[in-house]
Amino acid sequence: MDVTMDDVPGDLDFSGCSSTTTSSSSPSLDDGMGMYAWSGLSPVADWGSFCPDDGGQDLHGLIESMLCDDTLVGAADLHPAMFPDEAYCCSNGSAPGSTTTTNPGTPVNDGDAAQGDGPEKGLRLLHLLMAAAEALSGPHKSRELARVILVRLKQMVSHIGDNAAVSNMERLAAHFTDALQGLLDGSHPVGGAGRQAAAAAAASHRQHTGDVLTAFQMLQDMSPYMKFGHFTANQAILEAVAGDRRVHVVDYDIAEGVQWASLMQAMISRPDSVPPPHLRITAVSRGGGGGARAVQEAGRRLAAFAASIGQPFSFGQCRLDSDERFRPATVRMVKGETLVANCVLNQAAATTTVRRPTGSVASFLAGMATLGAKVVTAVEEDQGEPEKDEEEAGGFVARFMEELHRYSAVWDSLEAGFPTQSRVRGLVERAILAPNIAGAVSRAYRAVDGDGEARAGWGEWMRGNGFRAVPLSCFNHSQARLLLGLFNDGYTMEETSPNKIVLGWKARRLLSASVWAPPPLSVPSSPAEGAFQPVGIAPASGGVGRMEFDYIDSFLVEPAYALV
Amino acid sequence: MSMHISSSKLACMKPMSCHEQEHPELAAATSNNGFDWLEDSISFLTADVDIASGYGWWSNPAEAQQDDIGSVVAQTLSPPAPLPTTSSPLAHASPSIASPPVSSPSEPSSKKRKSPAHKASNSSVSNQRRRAEQDRPGGGGKKSGSKGGGAGSDRDTRWAEQLLNPCAAAVEAGNLSRAQHLFYVLGELASFSGDANHRLAAHGLHALARRLPAAVGTAAAASVRVPPCECPTPAFAGAEPRLFRASLIKFHEVSPWFALPNALANAAIAQAAARGATDARPLHVVDLGVSHGVQWPTLLESLTRLPGGRAPPSVRLTVGGPAATPPAPFSASPQGYDFSPHLLRYAKSINLQLAISRAASLDSVHGFATPGDALVVCLQFRLGHATADVRTDILSKVRGLNPELVVLSELDAGGDGTAAGEFTARLELLWRFLESTSAAFKGRDGEERRLLEAEAGTSVTGDAAGEGRDAWRERMAAAGFEEAAFGGEAVESAKSLLRKYDGGWEMSASGAAGVVALRWKGQPVSFCSLWRPACSG
Repeated sequence: MDVTMDDVPGDLDFSGCSSTTTSSSSPSLDDGMGMYAWSGLSPVADWGSFCPDDGGQDLHGLIESMLCDDTLVGAADLHPAMFPDEAYCCSNGSAPGSTTTTNPGTPVNDGDAAQGDGPEKGLRLLHLLMAAAEALSGPHKSRELARVILVRLKQMVSHIGDNAAVSNMERLAAHFTDALQGLLDGSHPVGGAGRQAAAAAAASHRQHTGDVLTAFQMLQDMSPYMKFGHFTANQAILEAVAGDRRVHVVDYDIAEGVQWASLMQAMISRPDSVPPPHLRITAVSRGGGGGARAVQEAGRRLAAFAASIGQPFSFGQCRLDSDERFRPATVRMVKGETLVANCVLNQAAATTTVRRPTGSVASFLAGMATLGAKVVTAVEEDQGEPEKDEEEAGGFVARFMEELHRYSAVWDSLEAGFPTQSRVRGLVERAILAPNIAGAVSRAYRAVDGDGEARAGWGEWMRGNGFRAVPLSCFNHSQARLLLGLFNDGYTMEETSPNKIVLGWKARRLLSASVWAPPPLSVPSSPAEGAFQPVGIAPASGGVGRMEFDYIDSFLVEPAYALV
Repeated sequence: MSMHISSSKLACMKPMSCHEQEHPELAAATSNNGFDWLEDSISFLTADVDIASGYGWWSNPAEAQQDDIGSVVAQTLSPPAPLPTTSSPLAHASPSIASPPVSSPSEPSSKKRKSPAHKASNSSVSNQRRRAEQDRPGGGGKKSGSKGGGAGSDRDTRWAEQLLNPCAAAVEAGNLSRAQHLFYVLGELASFSGDANHRLAAHGLHALARRLPAAVGTAAAASVRVPPCECPTPAFAGAEPRLFRASLIKFHEVSPWFALPNALANAAIAQAAARGATDARPLHVVDLGVSHGVQWPTLLESLTRLPGGRAPPSVRLTVGGPAATPPAPFSASPQGYDFSPHLLRYAKSINLQLAISRAASLDSVHGFATPGDALVVCLQFRLGHATADVRTDILSKVRGLNPELVVLSELDAGGDGTAAGEFTARLELLWRFLESTSAAFKGRDGEERRLLEAEAGTSVTGDAAGEGRDAWRERMAAAGFEEAAFGGEAVESAKSLLRKYDGGWEMSASGAAGVVALRWKGQPVSFCSLWRPACSG
């Protein structure tokens, strides 16, 4: 069975309605589809075996050493060439020729790029990053100081460019520098400027969709980050909907939609030769033409993929409110479908907008509960130890360092999987990890404003709001272990509770996958912040529409709900 | 007589002697009470042509090219040769002085004052004064924000202190990891040749690195990685003598940091020399300062112009050597630098009988003192790093000389008594020095500027607590002195002098005052005060 989707020219004026088609017998398969083998457990080389573990380049250890007093002693014998450029001249103030002026645009220190100064320069970069974060927060915040530090940081990493022969730490620092610069410029935080920036970013990303997908594919192959969450969630979904004929997944952040390709593969390959259930995906999309467009493209690819493997499939999207709140009424409901909510928050995807107000996730989880979702799968960055009553001042710096920690572990793990010099590695960092870092830093910053509800993780939030833990099956556990077995030994898996597993790199927890069941509908739940919408989904107009849609065959054109 | 001479001399030296045009009444008024010398001495400093040209007579192109420091210095102290009446040869005559004319777009306030309208205006002096005074806070404000709020808004841009002060606190508290973190950051941002903030970071880091072992113990200090932070420029003691001299002169031209206290001191000394007695007495000046001779030609010249035969028949200058007081910033001089022969030659050229002696310590000053001399002790910027006991000791020795007048100038800063607090206070002063010096050099770097800054940077290091002027007042009173007042004209002339410098500068006193404070962007820098032995003593 072929599946196609309308390729609406000029989708930019979707104005909230996406129309996608799943129909039969169209020969026009998306040309891009064949390129990306969205296979499930495709054979993956264990790249770690090719890459000796370079202890000296262990970023994670570097950061720990920086934060740990003990390492001060004994490190003093490192030679002082770590500060080679004392004559470095910052910008204004000196007459040309009268001093050892260094062009601010060039690396101050030729030795910076040389090998062997990694740990020293890495420490310098880390301290500067931390200082910049300090300057952006706390009672003595100073934008000027932050600006000066970022100027220096950029000088130190400016030679990276396409030159792959720079240290791991420098690459990581470059991305965190950009993220902090974004905070200083105000391009990330919510607000008008932020929206424009996000839209612009989305636009530019569209031009590089091919690159992004390539990078994405490479990341998939080289690390378990994506598959760990996707597989665990998908397995939980498969178990929850076993025997159901129609499955409807509402996906909070579909990104490229890769997760659903593997779900489809699993659905069609059931051993008992039971025909696969019909799968409908409703992707939540954010404001701005770019977001809707990206979601549409993901849907188109998914539809084509579904057609290629014979999976009955339909696709639609629903829009968040202008304040990024999820409104259950925007989801088209079809009688007889088993409803599933999927909330993967660590998408390594350029299409993920970096803004994610915590109220938005809460409204999604609560809204899906009111719609009667059978199961909620959540994949999120692990929040580590619950932060002790940190005073407001240290808040952002602590969170920032936490992110630095986390991504340094990611970097280390990538180092074990990707050769640093590979072009692909640079592509992955630029196209996938950099936007993620920007988003993580931005969220860490915004949480300063007393908005810490999600800091303990969404799992905890759900537990606190009446969601029930759904234990992971043995099979699910085994599958995750099997997955990790394909990669470097450094990856670890922890079962922190029956419904949750955590992926880590060495001692560092990276992300968790957990499964929940919303509270029964009969019990009207009303969390404190009122994120739950009234159960009455259908206002006057919506109700009519719902009746109409009840009998629509999902294989046919499926207009999304107009924004009410 | 003196008025006539000085005016003609002035005309020679400074063809655009608009000072006289601006303040005819003042000149007339002061000519009668023996203060015209001050007008003169100030007037060539305030020449509109160029501040640099005011010092043009210090140097001579032919001599300045000689390598021999002695002859160069000699020439700088030689009498002014009659100069052509155009300004360009005058500027040309001073190759060591490269500063551009003062009036530049970056200095709206001074430019405004020199506008043709102001010059042409024949309004009364008092009107001009008033206007100038109204200008002043605004003049500073144009650069630094309003006088009152300047410190606050200004603080946002002073990022170096936001790193250095927490670092000092961490060092004093023995918080090694915090100190290490900030050392790293400072090491990346410090520069002795960047803008004022980078320079402050560099000097402050250097001071903290030196402080570290004493604060946390040598073993713990050894565990902290300290970035290299040695100032590449040697301070005064290690400077090349010619550069040293050129730097001092240049600094007096472009910054009132020392020039203004020196001018005030000279005014007070001349006043004391002319005071009271019907017969002119020999004048004995004890120089416990940091001017390294630069201060004195102006005084000597003004003494010759004291009216009515009041000019002292002879002048003795006793220079307190570096050992006379504890080491203080700006007090050292390089080996091979000696201004005495040249000052003597200059005195001879103006028919003033001058003797110069050196006193290794204050105790030996007694040997040079002659009863009947008008003894003046000039104590300028030498006690800032002395401990309280040493200060008391030196002041009591000064009191023991029973001078007619004591000029006391010191930096006006005191911490809260804690080590970190003292550091913060010294850092603030250094910031004012670096920022005002950057403005004085119009942001341009150069070896002269760096030499001065290297010397200033040593002020951050040190254990002794700084003191504000109130504390000094108590200390002086305890030593048996009572405060005396500057003459109104001296203060007004100093204000007039100050106007030729950056608009960020201001003076606190108006009219006759017991103490004159110098401020940069509304913040205290130094004070100058006059003292006499208390009657009871």
